[in-house]
Amino acid sequence: MKIITTGVAGTMESSDIIVTIEPKENEGIELSLESDVMQQFGKQIEKVIRETLDELGVKAAKVSAVDKGALDCTVAARTMAAAYRAAESTDYVFKEVKSK
Amino acid sequence: MGLRYEGGAEHSVFLTDDEGEMLGTGSLCGSVLKYIAVDESLQGEGGAAAIVSRLVSRAYLLGRKKLFLFTKAQNEYMFRSLGFFPLAEAGGAVYMENSRRGLAGYLDSLEKGEGVQGAVVVNCNPFTLGHKYLMETAAELVDTLHVFVVSEDASEFPFKTRFEMVKKGTAHIKNLILHESGDYMISHATFPTYFIKDEAKAKDVNVELDLTLFGKRIAPALGITKRFVGTEPYCAVTNAYNEAMKRMLPKFGIEVIEIERKEGISASRVRELLKNGDIESIKTLVPRSTYDIIERDLISGAAFAYGSAARTDGSI
Repeated sequence: MKIITTGVAGTMESSDIIVTIEPKENEGIELSLESDVMQQFGKQIEKVIRETLDELGVKAAKVSAVDKGALDCTVAARTMAAAYRAAESTDYVFKEVKSK
Repeated sequence: MGLRYEGGAEHSVFLTDDEGEMLGTGSLCGSVLKYIAVDESLQGEGGAAAIVSRLVSRAYLLGRKKLFLFTKAQNEYMFRSLGFFPLAEAGGAVYMENSRRGLAGYLDSLEKGEGVQGAVVVNCNPFTLGHKYLMETAAELVDTLHVFVVSEDASEFPFKTRFEMVKKGTAHIKNLILHESGDYMISHATFPTYFIKDEAKAKDVNVELDLTLFGKRIAPALGITKRFVGTEPYCAVTNAYNEAMKRMLPKFGIEVIEIERKEGISASRVRELLKNGDIESIKTLVPRSTYDIIERDLISGAAFAYGSAARTDGSI
């Protein structure tokens, strides 16, 4: 999946996360995360975002996320939605979002 | 809630309860989030988060990715938790942007100079012989002169035209580097004063924020140790700004050098002549390159835009 524009999904409301995905020239995922629970779950949230992008085949992207205590499934779902929007793709594969 | 409306809201959101009672609001003005207010009963309940979320999503939909806001120092923490980062703090106000590396990225992207370095910040609406003289004189006093042209489109001449005028008019100055100011020079147009109770104090806060950002973040990144300004006998606002510069910038290790301005030449005089259709008379006030651009735009019709954004401020 190729990121060609800015895609955003989610909100900054409690128990949600807002994920913004932008194009990046060279390969790699550049991630910047803000979270109310950075101390406890920062690493886990980052892992979920990276794994979700990996599953979608996103190789290059600039990702910024502001987390308000979202569950893993929410993090994955918001990341997916933002990625599809940023790729201007509607080839959704509807499936259950598994816990990581 | 102690806020005044100052116009400019393009898109507003309202937070209401089940009965339709208004509990909060916020607006998007260009790339600045303004007028965010939440009823006391809802503070700490995520009201501001709901409002900011909607505004940010809206801004992204419009293709505006770099977002900014001004707020009171006591609200900084709350906006930090909503993904905003402080750029500068002064006079009880904070200027924030929605990216951790926004300013750093801008500074990285700027061409660097060498040796003793100076800076001028200009609007050039339009570029006159006075600006040219200021830059030539300043360039002789330093190894590299950085010229920042205010990017914001709040002047009669659009940014693209102003930048082109400065570029052509300074091509002969070899040690000059031209930059776009980006969103990191705060003008009267971007700075909202509605959240500052004392309106008279608001102008000072604007200037202090702008100079703090320049002195603390921008100048050190480029190695700038001198800032040049023209003397300002005509405009009280610009003169007050110059005075603030002399007071504040030395604290950041930046020397402020005033250059005697050329008698009788001002951008506002040029605009006045153009408004009266007297293009011949501007020949003695602007360089050939500026004249050619204005003449070209008058013929193509692009110059009609010059008058439409009429807004006179103190910038030179």
